[in-house]
Amino acid sequence: MSGRPEPFEDEPRRRVVPGLLLSAGVAATLLVAVLALPRGDNPLPAIARRAMTVALPEWRTTEPVSEVVYGTRGFDTFGETFLLLAAVVGVGLITRAREPRRGFIGEQEAGRREQHRTDPAEGGSADQRQAQQAEAGEEGRGQGAPSPDDEPVGEPGVERAEAMTVVVRAAVRTVAPLLAMAGLYLVAWGYSPGGGFPGGAVALGVVLLVYVSLGYRRVEPWLRPGVIEPVEMAGALAIGLIGVLGLVFSGSFSANFLPLGPVQTIRSGGVMQAFSVAELIEVSTGLVLAVFGLLGMGHDWEPEGQGRQGQGRRPPGSRRDSR
Amino acid sequence: MILGNYLAAVTLFCLGIYTVLTRRNLLKIVMGMSLMEASTYLFLLSLAYRNGSTAPVLLTPPHGQTPQRLAHGNVADPVLQNFCLTAIVIGVAVTGVFLAVVVRIAQHYRTLDADRVRDMRG
Repeated sequence: MSGRPEPFEDEPRRRVVPGLLLSAGVAATLLVAVLALPRGDNPLPAIARRAMTVALPEWRTTEPVSEVVYGTRGFDTFGETFLLLAAVVGVGLITRAREPRRGFIGEQEAGRREQHRTDPAEGGSADQRQAQQAEAGEEGRGQGAPSPDDEPVGEPGVERAEAMTVVVRAAVRTVAPLLAMAGLYLVAWGYSPGGGFPGGAVALGVVLLVYVSLGYRRVEPWLRPGVIEPVEMAGALAIGLIGVLGLVFSGSFSANFLPLGPVQTIRSGGVMQAFSVAELIEVSTGLVLAVFGLLGMGHDWEPEGQGRQGQGRRPPGSRRDSR
Repeated sequence: MILGNYLAAVTLFCLGIYTVLTRRNLLKIVMGMSLMEASTYLFLLSLAYRNGSTAPVLLTPPHGQTPQRLAHGNVADPVLQNFCLTAIVIGVAVTGVFLAVVVRIAQHYRTLDADRVRDMRG
């Protein structure tokens, strides 16, 4: 640590007084509004009463919340799904790495060789070289031991293994299938309010558990965007198709057109269950794409002193990681 | 009783607004937004509460009631719980996009300080 000002250690705040005033104003307004709200003694609104009474006879489901999500407010859920899809597409777009060029002819390697021959010292500041080396180290995954068990005890420095210890790995190998099964069960039998949404979150949790404990290499083969993106699009397509089929067969968007099974079976709820399963596919793959897009964001290093010239840039050499 | 929930939601929301307005670290601004989102979840679920009610689930109703009677009985509002689910999904989507933008800003400007990101200042 040097004597340079650390911008985040002692973070200066801005506009404290206007911020306080505005927050206090919002608080006062909200307080007035909240004090006038019913405090649990109002009758159930008509729409909620309708959802409660309609769930069993018309949808054969014991979950009125799911009935509202996929039945009464099905069109809203449709819109919400495509909002999520738009967000996932946005995250994918922003986090997209530099596209590899087709037809690589190796001029980068040739250029590096020539650079080394003519002027080996050139190549940006020390900070930039350090950053590039760090990135190269990250890209060359697997340089460290595959598991911390294989590393000698008492090694100084950062642990470089991808996976966690054998205890964590064994626990996750046991737990992950159970968790995945529980998530699917919740969706399939319609016992979770919201169906596919919590189920998709559970699926993301399982994927993240496996990723964190076993390392990226174990999830890489089936976590490629080329695999997951078509699955997500298929989910979105299924949701749209279910809605349109309801319009065709039953006269309104996402109305039920499937025969209803008995209560508390996998077929109870009719089109609601199909909607929920499509939502599970859409939400789980969408969340996985967004999270792994964020995790895998490549560095966008720009040589110092090139490009923008402005006061907004911090002077070279003031990077925080001055080890 | 439920007034406490309302007040907690208002407090959380205002803490979030204060964070967004006064912090300069972009990650903390995103955290403030998340706090505001979380306050709406609490608020919607509190609004769904009704005195002495049970959960809006028709499976195994309490006290030997039949599901049909429970459907007409005293339950929490399922529509507002549905709103909360919607809010959670939208909150996740918004937070994800914000975080992606923040990471790109951090890479591009090498700072998370919002005051130093001023290339688009007119």
